[in-house]
Amino acid sequence: MDSASFHFILFGLAAAVISNLSTSPKWRSTVLGVASALFIGFLVHDSHTVLPFCGFLVLGYLCLLLIERGWPRSLAWIFGAVILFYVWLKKYTFLPEASLLHFPYFILGLSYIFYRVLHLLIEAGDRAEKQHVAFGAYLLYTLNFTTFVSGPIQRYDEFAQDQFASEPLPLGPQVVGLQLERIVRGFFKVNVLGMLLNAVRADSLAQISAPLAATAKLSAALELVLVYPLFIYCNFSGYIDIVIALARLMRVRLPENFNRPFSTSSVLDFWNRWHMSLSNWFKAYVYNPLLVALMRRFTSVKLEPLLAVICFFVTFFLLGIWHGRTSEFIVFGVVNGVGVSVNKLWQIGLTRKMGRKGYKELAKNPVYRAFGRGLNFIWFGFALFWFWADWEQIHRIFGALSAAEWVGVWLTAWIAATAVLSVWEWARALLLSITYSGGPVLTSGWAHVVYGSALGLVSIVIVVLLSQPAPGIVYKAF
Amino acid sequence: MTQPVAADPASAKEAKVSAREWIKLCALSLLTIFLLAGSVELVARALFPAGNRTGAGEDCMILHDGTGNVRGIPNCVVWEKPLEGELAEYRFNSSGYRNDSDFAPKRPGTYRIVVLGTSMATGLRVPQEKTFSALLPLQLSKRTGRRVELYNLGLPWRSPDAIAQHMDEAIALKPDMILWAVTPKDVWNTSWKVPTFEAPGRNRNAGMWFRIKAAMAPKALMARVSFSVGQLRTVTMLRHFLYASPSLYVPSSLAGGDYNEDFLETKPSAKWQRQLSEFDRSAASIEEQSREAGIPFATVLIPDRTQVALIAMMGDRPDGLDPYKLDNDLRSIITSHGGAYIDILPDFRTIPNPQAGYMAVDGHPNVAGHAEIANFLTSKLAADVFQEPQAGLQQAHWAGH
Repeated sequence: MDSASFHFILFGLAAAVISNLSTSPKWRSTVLGVASALFIGFLVHDSHTVLPFCGFLVLGYLCLLLIERGWPRSLAWIFGAVILFYVWLKKYTFLPEASLLHFPYFILGLSYIFYRVLHLLIEAGDRAEKQHVAFGAYLLYTLNFTTFVSGPIQRYDEFAQDQFASEPLPLGPQVVGLQLERIVRGFFKVNVLGMLLNAVRADSLAQISAPLAATAKLSAALELVLVYPLFIYCNFSGYIDIVIALARLMRVRLPENFNRPFSTSSVLDFWNRWHMSLSNWFKAYVYNPLLVALMRRFTSVKLEPLLAVICFFVTFFLLGIWHGRTSEFIVFGVVNGVGVSVNKLWQIGLTRKMGRKGYKELAKNPVYRAFGRGLNFIWFGFALFWFWADWEQIHRIFGALSAAEWVGVWLTAWIAATAVLSVWEWARALLLSITYSGGPVLTSGWAHVVYGSALGLVSIVIVVLLSQPAPGIVYKAF
Repeated sequence: MTQPVAADPASAKEAKVSAREWIKLCALSLLTIFLLAGSVELVARALFPAGNRTGAGEDCMILHDGTGNVRGIPNCVVWEKPLEGELAEYRFNSSGYRNDSDFAPKRPGTYRIVVLGTSMATGLRVPQEKTFSALLPLQLSKRTGRRVELYNLGLPWRSPDAIAQHMDEAIALKPDMILWAVTPKDVWNTSWKVPTFEAPGRNRNAGMWFRIKAAMAPKALMARVSFSVGQLRTVTMLRHFLYASPSLYVPSSLAGGDYNEDFLETKPSAKWQRQLSEFDRSAASIEEQSREAGIPFATVLIPDRTQVALIAMMGDRPDGLDPYKLDNDLRSIITSHGGAYIDILPDFRTIPNPQAGYMAVDGHPNVAGHAEIANFLTSKLAADVFQEPQAGLQQAHWAGH
């Protein structure tokens, strides 16, 4: 149930059908509440293991009540308590072992709940006009089964607007058809593409460690660099496709989490298109306040761009280390932070050298964009080594080839990524240019039916033939 | 419907879909499915042709000879074009074994090896001249300078029990060595019987009404559907390509209904211990007959595809599985009765994608796989039997002598 399986989709569709028996907000909220409770019930095997999780939810709500009742001066303490409780429950490795709970307990989805709770607390503290969030609404928002496992991280006001509306979002045949096609597409991404790409990664990892000839190892290294970004995209965006479609069938619009991230030609823009709900959260609650605070402290206009670089580094470092509890994620955070801050410095440097207009012209150049796209892709692939591998595997991978061989691998990967992504962009533009009755054929209802049917058939055949579950949703572990 | 569709047309007024358009959409969906399925089947038939000359190696065998044993038909020749391999000739000699020539008295100075075993020893689905049994004497002769010949007494489904019963045929050939090519299946089916090959739901002896009833029973219906789908060339093609990956193949293989994964498990089950004991009994009988005839006896494990795929997965194989466990079990059994054990399993680690040496769907070694097995055996035998000085690195594996 915690993956993009048939069971999960059937469960979500059943909940959507029941939810649409009435458009009354009470009925829809009851159905969502029952469905979410059942969903968590399926995932929890022993009732007492859920107690720490419940403790976090209760603490979050108590803190919210405190802020709502006018304790803004305690805000720092409240945030500190919530963050500390979260870090303690997640068993971050820097905490003393003796201080941790020594029994297995349920933490699935806790990270996403953490973001939702912090968002509620910050907004409650900032808002001049106090608005009470009832406990039922709080639970519906934090435990909504469509966003429970891996997001997307929805704002409370957007959730409440759709969920508690007396006139909910319309749900006609066209919307239903589109959502069903999106579910099929998501299922295909996770269970077919994701599964195949994960197999290539696993095979390459085995091959790079085997006593084989250098050519076999070089090819395995190249696959490791190129395949994981594609896998995680299919795995995560496929799941998000499914949950967004299920939520829409329940008349709730979830925020989009991906916007063709590998089409971008810069690391900075990449994070505007990858896990967008998380990036936006960090932008709103880390980057902006930090930049404002630094600008208040250092008032020189000349320093502003450099302050932005520092804020980018801090934000993406934090975003990186959020992903895991171990030291690998510190490196992941540093690599991400370095990526965005160097990209920002590059922008600043070129703008100073070429002028704003000159830099804009360069950024539009197709060759520059193509190589930028390839570079962004392999930088992300490089960062991801500290995301999916542990130190033992990282040593095994990087120790398998000499430094010169690795340079060759990265250069080849850059060129390959540049070429493949350019061809992809060109083919997409070409297909979209084929129009009929005033619009691209590719986005017509007929086209949705054709590729929905085709992807559905392929998915069923492959899933039945392989008779094994697809890899779990990677982001559910965070 | 040809108008572009917004990602969420909630805000816009949604156009009504007429009944006629609904029918058109359903028809388009069905047409897509049929066209896609049909075109993929055509591609699969082009990539995996069955060949014009129909037949299979099994056509030269009497699969049910009344005693549960398999026998080859003397002087039978048949051609087979396996879906995953090249056209293969099966030529059975006058004794009913897959050999190019009839068995004859040994010429002086010739070193004769007799190979025993099942389908992998026979070289099922592979051209005769490319089986390891055909390659091994050529490579050994070239490498050692001695005249080496090999008689292949392998037959599919010839269980260890049946081999023990037919040892007199091997001994009568007066070999210098008997080489038993054991597969994991031989160990878990020490006294197996030849299966029947009939589509599920068919029973020619039953009356028409009962045949219809049996065919319509839900279980039989599912089995028939599953059987019919399995016959599609698309399925063969997809399996062939998907199973190229060890990490996709191993879980699928282990989930297969007829696959006994006990032999791969680190902690042996009681059932597996019983199967090993049964195999031990048959091996003791085979080795005793060989010893009494004064013929050196050796055994080699020809791994199956799952085992080799697990080896290819290195340290990332599923928990609780050990592809080398059967190797160790067999060594103990064979050497305890005085035979020699030739260990080629670790050699599969030294080649890239060792599972590519097997037909992904059929499971038997292909031409490349037979070549690898012949290479591994040549190295071991050259070092240990012919005492070739430069190849003496594998002495440890040639235990028991």
